[in-house]
Amino acid sequence: MANVKLQNLGKRYAGGTQAAVCDVNLEIEHGELFVLLGPSGCGKSTTLRMIAGLEEITDGQLLIDGKQVNGLPAKDRDIAMVFQSYALYPHMSVRENLAFGLRRRKFKLEEINRRVVQASQILGLAPYIDRKPHALSGGQRQRVALGRAIVRDPKVFLFDEPLSNLDAALRVSTRAELTSLHARLGATMIYVTHDQVEAMTMGSRICIMNAGRVEQVGRPLDVYRDPANTFVASFLGSPPMNLMQTSVSLNADGQYLSLGSQFVNASGLMTRLATPLTNGQSVTFGIRPEDISLRPGSPIEAEVLNTEALGAETLLLLSLDGLPAPIRARVGRDERPAKGSKVGIAVDIDRVKLFDTTTGQALP
Amino acid sequence: MRWRLTLVMVILGFYTMFAAGPFAWVALMSVRTTTEITANHYAWPKTWHWEKFTEAWFGSGYNVYFQNSTLVVCSAVLVLTVVGSMAAYALARYRFPSNRTIYFILFSTIVFPPQITVIALFQILVQYGLYNSLPGLTLVYVAFQLPLTVYILETFFRRIPGELFDAARIDGYGEFEVFWRIALPISLPAISTTVILNTILLWNEFLYAVVLITDESKRTLPLGIQRFMGDQLEDIGMIATGLMIAIIPVVLIYAFFSEKLIKGMTAGAMK
Repeated sequence: MANVKLQNLGKRYAGGTQAAVCDVNLEIEHGELFVLLGPSGCGKSTTLRMIAGLEEITDGQLLIDGKQVNGLPAKDRDIAMVFQSYALYPHMSVRENLAFGLRRRKFKLEEINRRVVQASQILGLAPYIDRKPHALSGGQRQRVALGRAIVRDPKVFLFDEPLSNLDAALRVSTRAELTSLHARLGATMIYVTHDQVEAMTMGSRICIMNAGRVEQVGRPLDVYRDPANTFVASFLGSPPMNLMQTSVSLNADGQYLSLGSQFVNASGLMTRLATPLTNGQSVTFGIRPEDISLRPGSPIEAEVLNTEALGAETLLLLSLDGLPAPIRARVGRDERPAKGSKVGIAVDIDRVKLFDTTTGQALP
Repeated sequence: MRWRLTLVMVILGFYTMFAAGPFAWVALMSVRTTTEITANHYAWPKTWHWEKFTEAWFGSGYNVYFQNSTLVVCSAVLVLTVVGSMAAYALARYRFPSNRTIYFILFSTIVFPPQITVIALFQILVQYGLYNSLPGLTLVYVAFQLPLTVYILETFFRRIPGELFDAARIDGYGEFEVFWRIALPISLPAISTTVILNTILLWNEFLYAVVLITDESKRTLPLGIQRFMGDQLEDIGMIATGLMIAIIPVVLIYAFFSEKLIKGMTAGAMK
């Protein structure tokens, strides 16, 4: 167990015009399962590889348990890593794969055997212990990769998209196993993924990265409900948050926001803002699809462009008069309005997020 | 389906005869005397003159040639494998300035025919006192085969996923150990290929040997066989015997390593 601190961490490749990772400040606590989430190329894997000691740190500091480890080689950082391709040694049996790291660290033979047997029992690898990796299924290989990390009992576990090579069903079960493994070991884990479901379900906290920078850090539900900017709002959630341009209209009977040619009463929302909005000001209006509901007779009317019945719920693609792009709504499974029909919709105004149109940052 | 199988078998049969025929012919000639061969080129041996092998081995100095060839080829192949694999590993895995320049300079020398370099090499060896010596010939062989060796191994190392090396580094192994315990064992198929290729090519090498070796006691096998080709008379029978002595190790090496080669290729599965 350890805590990991990243201070202004950055990575600039020789000859590269832009930094791959820039100014990352994070503090990962003892026993936390911390998820780095972002689209491909956002720098999350590079950040993880810098923590592992596989990439040189060009800016800032990395501290493990308060000790600066910038120049320390990977082998001396007491970390274990699970790779996307599993990276099992193809010429060694499962047993040898598990013992390889321990042998290097000069453990006694009995201790190595004890740990290998223990890890293979935890992960159900005992029947395959003498097989070579090519004779294992994808799920089994994934377990061996996990086992190789567990036997080491390292300070920090690093995971680089470990589930992305598994099929969907196996991914769900392995996700749950990883979470229970984390609870059981109580170890500090840093987990990189581009899959937001993994991030939401597994992470104690998640950090959303984009273009080499941290966009937001927080507990999964907090980040989901309260995105710090339009990038996070549109990255998290499937379908993501609806974002539309709106302008403020203040008049005697209340404060309104425009949705195309229609208006929604947002008095409650606007009074909670730190800096009041001015009449005519343009802001970005964000609403999650599940916070839009169908309400017959509602003053806001939309045309149904498409209906996707998913069984447990229905996704609607709605067009609002005067809005350039359609919006998505997630409604009950029995609500299936006909394509082309006009429906009344209600917006849960308490769930609406407002963003600065120019900076994209959430309005405080 | 049956007639297709038959057709394949017939074609393969013809090909085997085509490929193995000359070999069998030389094998038969190696136990016949030159007089018998001159009388009938393709006859089955009436008496099997096994003593010709003893005569060639002890009487005609084949034991010395064989020893020389073994020494030169084994040391050259050893150096080639060690130096070639290390160079290839560095070129494939490390980012450093002029990595590609070095690679292409090395690789471009493959296109030079040996005749172009032989005079220069001769002068270099004379200058360093290595002319007419087995170490000198060994060095020339290493230089001659190194580009191809590096090329084959570099291509193979490049295909190994980098995460495998990262995993070993995290498991606590240093750069050399990663090379030694991970890269080399995985690359056994490619290394076998270069070992077979280099052994066969150098075992049969004639041009450099004939130019760079003059002493009787330092001749390699191809030069030994040449000894039986006189101006007036060609001792066909002894040439055949000499050829058989030269061929047998190559066949053995190929048989041993090709099994490893196939094993390595079918094991596969890097992931």
